[in-house]
Amino acid sequence: MNEEKQASLPLFGIPRLFPYLKPYRVKIICMILLGAISSGMDAAYPLFNRYTLNHFIGGQTLAGIGPFTCLYVSLLIFQGLINYVSSVECGKVEMSVDKDLRNDAFNHLQTLSFSYFNRNSVGYIHARVMSDTGLIGEVISWRMMNLVWNGAYVIGVLVVMLIIDVRLAALICLLVPVAVIFMMYFQRMLLDYNRKIREVNSKITGNYNEGITGAQTIKVLGVEEKMIGDFKQETTNMRRISIREAHYSALFISTMTMMSAMVLALVLWQGGRLTVEGLMQIGTLAVFMSYALEMLDPIQSIIETLSGFISIQANIERVVKLLAEESDVADSPEVVEKYGDSFHPKKENWEELIGDIEFRDVSFRYPDGDEYVLENFNLKVPHGTNVAIVGETGAGKSTLVNLVCRFFEPTKGQLLIDGRDARERSQLWLHSNIGYVLQSPHLFSGTVRENLRYGKPDATDDEIMKALRIVSAESVLARMEKGLDTDIGEGGSILSTGEKQLLSFARAILADPKILVLDEATSSIDTVTEKAIQNAIDVVIRGRTSFVIAHRLSTIVDADVILVVKGGKIISRGTHAELMRERGYYYELYTRQYEELLWGAAE
Amino acid sequence: MQNYPTKANLILHFLSGSKRYFALSMLFAGLVSLLDMVNPKIISYTVDSVIGTKPSALPGSVEKLIDGIGGTSALRAHPIWIAAAVLSIGVLAALCRYVFRTMNTRGAETFVRKMRDDLFAHIMYLPYTWHSENSTGDIIQRCTSDVNTIKRFISEQLVQLFRTVIMIVLALIFMGRIHFRVMLGSALMIPVIVIYSLIFHVKIGTAFEKVDVEEGVLSSIVQENLTGVRVVRAFGRELYERGRFEKQNTYYTSFWIRLMTITSMYWSVADILTGLQILFIMLFGSVACIHGTLTVGGFIAMTSYNMMLIWPVRQLGRVISEMSKAGISIERLRYIMNSEVETDPKAAWEPPMNRDITFENVTYAYANASSPVLKDVSLTIPAGSTFGILGGTGSGKSTLMYLLDHLYDLGPDGGKITVGGVDIANIKKDYLRRNIGMVLQEPFLFSRTLSENIGITGHEKNMDEIRRAAKIASIDDAIESFTSGYDTFVGERGVTLSGGQKQRTAIAQMLISKPPIMIFDDSLSAVDAETDMKIRHAIQENTGSSTVILIAHRITTLMNADHIIVLDKGRIREQGTHEELLAKNGLYRRIYDLQTAGIDESEADI
Repeated sequence: MNEEKQASLPLFGIPRLFPYLKPYRVKIICMILLGAISSGMDAAYPLFNRYTLNHFIGGQTLAGIGPFTCLYVSLLIFQGLINYVSSVECGKVEMSVDKDLRNDAFNHLQTLSFSYFNRNSVGYIHARVMSDTGLIGEVISWRMMNLVWNGAYVIGVLVVMLIIDVRLAALICLLVPVAVIFMMYFQRMLLDYNRKIREVNSKITGNYNEGITGAQTIKVLGVEEKMIGDFKQETTNMRRISIREAHYSALFISTMTMMSAMVLALVLWQGGRLTVEGLMQIGTLAVFMSYALEMLDPIQSIIETLSGFISIQANIERVVKLLAEESDVADSPEVVEKYGDSFHPKKENWEELIGDIEFRDVSFRYPDGDEYVLENFNLKVPHGTNVAIVGETGAGKSTLVNLVCRFFEPTKGQLLIDGRDARERSQLWLHSNIGYVLQSPHLFSGTVRENLRYGKPDATDDEIMKALRIVSAESVLARMEKGLDTDIGEGGSILSTGEKQLLSFARAILADPKILVLDEATSSIDTVTEKAIQNAIDVVIRGRTSFVIAHRLSTIVDADVILVVKGGKIISRGTHAELMRERGYYYELYTRQYEELLWGAAE
Repeated sequence: MQNYPTKANLILHFLSGSKRYFALSMLFAGLVSLLDMVNPKIISYTVDSVIGTKPSALPGSVEKLIDGIGGTSALRAHPIWIAAAVLSIGVLAALCRYVFRTMNTRGAETFVRKMRDDLFAHIMYLPYTWHSENSTGDIIQRCTSDVNTIKRFISEQLVQLFRTVIMIVLALIFMGRIHFRVMLGSALMIPVIVIYSLIFHVKIGTAFEKVDVEEGVLSSIVQENLTGVRVVRAFGRELYERGRFEKQNTYYTSFWIRLMTITSMYWSVADILTGLQILFIMLFGSVACIHGTLTVGGFIAMTSYNMMLIWPVRQLGRVISEMSKAGISIERLRYIMNSEVETDPKAAWEPPMNRDITFENVTYAYANASSPVLKDVSLTIPAGSTFGILGGTGSGKSTLMYLLDHLYDLGPDGGKITVGGVDIANIKKDYLRRNIGMVLQEPFLFSRTLSENIGITGHEKNMDEIRRAAKIASIDDAIESFTSGYDTFVGERGVTLSGGQKQRTAIAQMLISKPPIMIFDDSLSAVDAETDMKIRHAIQENTGSSTVILIAHRITTLMNADHIIVLDKGRIREQGTHEELLAKNGLYRRIYDLQTAGIDESEADI
């Protein structure tokens, strides 16, 4: 959903992340220094070999072998320590930055308005919080260290080479730019291929998805062979592209090793000549030979890291964008001053909510829609009133509820709560007084107790049991071995829909809200549970201002006012009797349901 | 029945077609390793016999070659010959490396294609009951990430293991031939490093699993928060959610840091071990040189061979520890490949389908259900007639049709369904289904264009026929209203169709193949009454001699049928023509009255 434009931030967007690095700047500087020292030492190790050849072997003596060994071993251990410290710190920085970013992204999401959640799919947002942040941490730690390690090594090697033999070093340096240009060219091409491969791969996953979710249709149509044929085309395509990619990457790697051989050949040719003429020692020649074989790898690694930045630019951009996203519904500074924000409520200033609600000349259109779904809508809902909203699935029954809960704000006009504009008080104040029961009840993973306490964190077990009794949900609990301590699994997976429904009623009752919103279930549940839920609804709405989005019309015949919604708009309102007399759309809906009841009754 | 009794059977099956690529790739991998052994030899020869004056210890053939260009003195005068030798070995090695890598990918891609194709085809032919019993997400997971794990196992880990072993063996042989005792100094370190890295990688693996688990927990907190955003806001619980997330986030991070610490420890210590291995060679080599048992060139060659060993040895532990994961993935694919596909009995044939359909004492219960959904249903649908089925939710009307389409098997005591007297169990399933057109209540459209969706049963798409079918199904206008018309893409990456539009597209899709038996399973439920009527008339004019079965809630949809049954809780309650049923004054009558005349208010207050 909502595919954003190609990233365009300067320097891969990294400057925007500086605030996240600030707490770790000392660590980062230490890491860089230690990394540079360690790589410098790596570059110097062949010198030991040179000493061995020139001194011990050349001089036919073992004099000084003790100190030589001691120096070597202590350097080795020293380097090991440095590496350990810098790797651990690098990992810590990575994970801490990740953690900070994830926390900020998650917390920011808690303040964003519903239009953001309507615009972006759950999967999309989830990926921003969970995977993009991880990539960012990796960039500023490991990838950066990679540059440091390899960069320092290459520089170290160049310095050593220049010191021990300028002539040969200059010769080798001539080859480096050629290699770099060659590597950059290939690296870009390989990135391109990898993108293509990912695209085909996601197509194949899509095909699996379609083949498996659409199994019934495929069988009924008898098109198995066609589906298999089309699938084979994709997999063949995948094979073709992958083999092309392999052709280039194999060419790349082979050429790279051939270049190493070229450098070695060069060293043997010119170095050999110098040595024969007695102008160079064997040990020096050996050092050059080992550099010849080991110098190109780090250069390639640097180029790979740099070109890798291009591909994660978009990830950085997306996280930065999420963090910069502004909420459509925000409390004004004055309101925050007085009532506090979502994370720092000032409960001492909160007025008690009574539950009188009034829509005054409200016009509304969704931020992403172009049509007004409410125009100059007026409705007074004195506290304790029961408002029912009916209409077909997808007709837009949630709009009013969204406004009452201030998930959205009126485009024009006002929503008054207890006579004052809803915007004059904080969102959290309002939400703390609202109970909400969804048609697909949403429970969180955790125990029954944790879930029921969601609206009232300090509820005692007695209160919880009382709430369960009110909605006749003790039987649900009775079946569980650990009672309130039972873990209900992700999203309440161990419960049936009806049971989840009952628990979410209990949760709402426990919060004892002044305003109650019920989105009634459509799913087919057995008659016994259905009866229990109906009773629960009756109990719950008593004495509260309530908005019931109804699917079963028989449940709302007693509502104080019924709003009939069709095509997103309220087309009529009145009591049940009034609407039946009208013989309009409500009558039609009611008739249809009555007929369904007939089937049930015809035993 | 098990097609693949062991994991190896399955892997061998998937390997058919790619084995030769892998064989070639291994051969060339061996050649690469062998060629890599040559350079140190050249170097040691150069140092000893060209720069130095020692007699060469080269094989006779190479000796002749050198004599051909003028012997060692010529080389001394023109070291470019040595460079040329190094370069030609380099070119040869590059060529072999290229062949090795491309052959390996060819093998890997052929192998993975075979896996994917076979899995997909197998899944397509698995019975519908299998699909309803297994979770979609899990199957897709097996087909994607498990497939990748196995691919990596075969094409990366196994190959790497092979290469590493070859490399180690070759390097040790070459070293041993130069100086056996010095070689031992290096060889003794190998088991130490391999065992050390194996132990650490097992540790790293378990630490990683813990990280994975905690990541899953964190991930589901985000998931729950996002899907439950309404509940969170409505209860004003942002602060609580924040605390919950931050706590788990910190916990998760601490596991990562633990993992990082282990890995850092591993790397640093491994570096030291490697450094010691290098030191041993230097020290032993020096001593041997001074004793005169090793030449200077030999010393340089020894150090080069030793350097070649370092990486493969360190990889070995990692590869071995990762390979153990593949077993689980293979097992998970074996589950799919060993599930039994739909097959036709030997006697199955293709009888004419424009015949009477009969259900004889059909009783059917779903696997997990306590009571049967259909109980002793017997009925006859005369060929060419229009047959109506009226029934409420859960009455078993759809199941009746799925049984006719042989999506489910009737049990031994479940009665019999016949077409023209032939038991459908003896009709080829594919033939049966192609001759029964069924429009489902909630049709599934493929993510393709509308014309491809409508014409999906045809081998080549004929736009005229597609358009004609779309017109009959009253979807033509709607399609033309899209900017890309019939080329409009449906599904995730395209337009979202309304329920009614989907139903009408599915009807067009069915009409195009003109099957002798057509079933409309409540397939006009999302269409308004007027369009419903229009479509029914158009269909009636165009179905010709086909047998039509209509399932509906709306009596107007099926009142013109030649025969109607009223199905209630799995049993036939009433049957007859519309007039006969009305005269019976039963359930049908009451529903009819309700739908036509409506209810008066007194009755409505239930």
